[in-house]
Amino acid sequence: MATKVAAHYISEKISKVRWLPEKLQQSERFVTGSWDMNNNFVRLWRLQSNPYAQNVDHTPRCNDKVSIEGDVTGLEFVTDDILAVSSADGHLSLLNVQRAVEEDQIQRTARSERLHEFKCSGTSAPCTAVAVYGTDIATVGEDGCVNVLSANNLKQVKRSIEADSMSLLAVNFVSQQQLVTANRMGVIRMFDTRIASETQPKIAFMVACQDAKSCNFVSCMATHPMQQHILICGSEEGSITVWDLRNLEYPASYLSAHNSPITDIGFHNQDPSKLFSSAESGEVWMWSENKTHIDPNQQDGKSAWLSGDRVRALVNVDGVLSNIRKPINSFDVHGTRLLCGSDSEAVYIVDDIL
Amino acid sequence: MNDDTLPTFALGDALATRCGNTLTASFVPGGSKIALSAYRPLKWSSRDAPSDSAGQDMVLIHMAQESSLYTEPLLRSLLSETNATFQTLQTMCQVQHGTKKGSEYIKISRTYRSIVRCCLEKLEHAKKMPEVQEDETKEQQYADAIMTFYAIECLWYLFEILYMQQHHNQLIVPQLLEWTRFHYPHTEDRATDLLLMAEEASEVDNYWDTLKTLVMLGHLDVTRAILSQHRKANQAAYQSAETVLKTMPIYQDGYALQKFCSQWEYWHNDLDRKLVSQVFAAEPELEVLMQLLKGSNEHWDEELLKSQDWYEFLPGYLLYTRPTCKPFELRIAVTNWHNRWSQLRPDWQMTQMSRMVRQLMDHDVKLFIYEAQKLNDSHWFATHLIDLIYHSGQLKTHFDQQNLDLPALRHAMIFEFGSYLMTTHNLWQLGIDYLDHCGQEGIAAIELLLPRIPLKTERQAFKILALAKRRGLVNVEQDICKVLSRRAYNDQRFGSALEWAIRSKDVLAVTAIADFILKHYSKTGIMLCQDVITSIGGRMFLSPRLVFLSKYYEFYEFYRQRDFLSGAELLINLLASRITPDYFWPSLLIDALPLLESEDPKIFSKETIAILQHLEMELVPLIERNKLNTAKFSNQTSKTIFKDYRVENIEEILDLMRLACARNLARAMIIENTAPAS
Repeated sequence: MATKVAAHYISEKISKVRWLPEKLQQSERFVTGSWDMNNNFVRLWRLQSNPYAQNVDHTPRCNDKVSIEGDVTGLEFVTDDILAVSSADGHLSLLNVQRAVEEDQIQRTARSERLHEFKCSGTSAPCTAVAVYGTDIATVGEDGCVNVLSANNLKQVKRSIEADSMSLLAVNFVSQQQLVTANRMGVIRMFDTRIASETQPKIAFMVACQDAKSCNFVSCMATHPMQQHILICGSEEGSITVWDLRNLEYPASYLSAHNSPITDIGFHNQDPSKLFSSAESGEVWMWSENKTHIDPNQQDGKSAWLSGDRVRALVNVDGVLSNIRKPINSFDVHGTRLLCGSDSEAVYIVDDIL
Repeated sequence: MNDDTLPTFALGDALATRCGNTLTASFVPGGSKIALSAYRPLKWSSRDAPSDSAGQDMVLIHMAQESSLYTEPLLRSLLSETNATFQTLQTMCQVQHGTKKGSEYIKISRTYRSIVRCCLEKLEHAKKMPEVQEDETKEQQYADAIMTFYAIECLWYLFEILYMQQHHNQLIVPQLLEWTRFHYPHTEDRATDLLLMAEEASEVDNYWDTLKTLVMLGHLDVTRAILSQHRKANQAAYQSAETVLKTMPIYQDGYALQKFCSQWEYWHNDLDRKLVSQVFAAEPELEVLMQLLKGSNEHWDEELLKSQDWYEFLPGYLLYTRPTCKPFELRIAVTNWHNRWSQLRPDWQMTQMSRMVRQLMDHDVKLFIYEAQKLNDSHWFATHLIDLIYHSGQLKTHFDQQNLDLPALRHAMIFEFGSYLMTTHNLWQLGIDYLDHCGQEGIAAIELLLPRIPLKTERQAFKILALAKRRGLVNVEQDICKVLSRRAYNDQRFGSALEWAIRSKDVLAVTAIADFILKHYSKTGIMLCQDVITSIGGRMFLSPRLVFLSKYYEFYEFYRQRDFLSGAELLINLLASRITPDYFWPSLLIDALPLLESEDPKIFSKETIAILQHLEMELVPLIERNKLNTAKFSNQTSKTIFKDYRVENIEEILDLMRLACARNLARAMIIENTAPAS
């Protein structure tokens, strides 16, 4: 692959990165969220052509920033310019991005009440992840609760579910009403946002682990953009487990991948045959479905990811980034560009990944 | 250390001033903080009475902390970037042992320098920002940082030239010229202006001054270009100056040194002759320029008075007097030059930087390293430079002669720097990499420092755990998990506490929490954190108590789902398992009661006998023992309390149980011994 990697040091440990959504063109703007700093910020960046025309075409420049109380733990776009930010003080904020010709701007437009707290001591619990479906925003926290809010009114929590008695690390919408959460033990639960916590159906399944005696949390989940019943989970031991949500008796596939906790996982939005995964040890891998190997007779619409032990044969793995040595906490792909944020306090922009 | 160089701070504590202005202090563990408070010296002979100042002032504890340059974001990225280069160097040396090339070390050295340069550029840019201009302290901060890192870059470059590069024929003058050019760019800027002005340039005030400085810095091409634009460039004097400049031999690679020397000698004599024969007499300024080219001491001395630092024009002077100067000859040249300089400028105060330049040129690396550690950069420079010296191995003989243990020095520097970063707020991820290269001591330091990083979120905890795991520091992992378990427990998040305890793999911690859950159940009948207990799975074998808890929970579930037969079987197994904790016997046996008494028999005769046996052999002696203890230590509260939410007094159930067992036994015997109706 003829990929170009450019690292840009920005003096902040980065917990999340997201490209700004663009429909028809390659996105030139992105946002980053920081963690474990004295002051944490969500920053809005814009790519500019590099004045020192070497082999790096673009350099990002910070256009605007918003100070966030506590670590930024989740960044998701609700619409093209509204960004949901979850933070370690248990709040959810909405930021509004204004694209401009010269200097783009970003402002906080709403902040929720404290969504997550430890009941006994009354202290705030970190919000650990955020997921968006339409205008619905779901947050999960270390207190084991799931909160669903509407982006139109952050002051009112639409549904609060006491999902777990330990912290939840990931959340994802499967459909408008259904969401999945993953906890520190590797247990994934499915909830219906229309039902109150007491009457929730108890759907729980556990991610596979090589050593049954060790703990294995699920740190990230992703659903296939076209086939929403395919749920992919990345875990602490570095393995990827795939579930077919129509059949929860056993996992559809299990792949041992990285040798450190997987930090983020996700499909390419426009090309769902590509999956990306990033790991604590500083790697980003690209998994692409091997088109040549698919037998036309067996084309029954079944995804390669659900084919159990044969997945390895049907999916190719390429290293996109390696040797970063510090954890890659988050990535985002838009078009042909991959963006990564890392604890090495740099953003990495990889061009021409496809 | 000198007393007057020590900074002093006034604390102004009212209490301390009252009791003789004395303070006491102690280091706060796990950080670079010092806690200070007022102190009155007490001796064995002092009277034990309230002091005069008692109750008059508040007792204040002041926390003092060393301020760090690296809170500034721009300098932070310097740290993280150099951390990556440092790592590259370490792995490079591990991988290709033996086949090291000097050029690769130079590449590393240049990378370091370019990081500093880039950082300097950003700092300069930031300093000019309007918001910084308004804030005086901030501006000063930037100015300090720029000064420090400018010096570092300058020194590092010089070091690279003198000690790292493999010079062809060992000529260093060209490189030194390059070095001064880098660090005195103003003249070049002015020269560019003059060039752009073309003919008008000759009227500018500083025209000749600029030209002189250019010559003294050795920029001959530029000088020539400017001169050729002069109005009188066609006149004879200018023409011959042009020739002189053009014909000056410049050493090029692959040239025979002897030949070059004789050529240069010829050129020098020729210039001398021209000067003597008054070729340039018509243009006095031009003549001075030529005198400088000749290396005329008298003219150089005059110009030297204008220079900023002693070494500014040294390379230029060498170019016109000893163009073939070799590194080992530099020392003598420098000494002479420096003597001359101090005679010319007797009141000149050496700055730290000019002193360090001197040390480098004098080949006094030992002293240089010593000075480098005094720079205000938290030892960033010294650490990285020494590490590079160590790996490149070029100065090994030098250090051996100086009796300097380089490996030990490097070790100490990296260790200190790593520990500094580890203990500084949120730089721990960088610090740990340095400590990784400190052998056993480094591991020990990591083991001590990792658990002391304040845990704010679980995600951060997982990161620290991953670091510990990668290094095989089981104790650290355990400690952190136990701390988090305790935290969750205190917060009554028992599921979380149990899971952290399981992660810690500490039997005692797991047992304690499992105990708590079981006791809570027997007291209240409420099973805590059921979702966690269900998913424990294979991890239950950590502690027998946890096995019991999981199994008991399984029974509890059977019971709730009214699957009494499976429940009964599990219960019998539990009774026979020998892992039942003492306090739980009553609850376990009471659980058997409804099964024994149910309308259709659920427990076989053999099992009933087993239950009866457990009742008599386990519970009865327990109760006896408990009574005895209560009698013996009636005033103590620390006795085993048997309690179950279903009964008031445990002794009551003994009879109930016996009765139930007898009834069930009778029933079961009859059924079992009746032949099925055929």
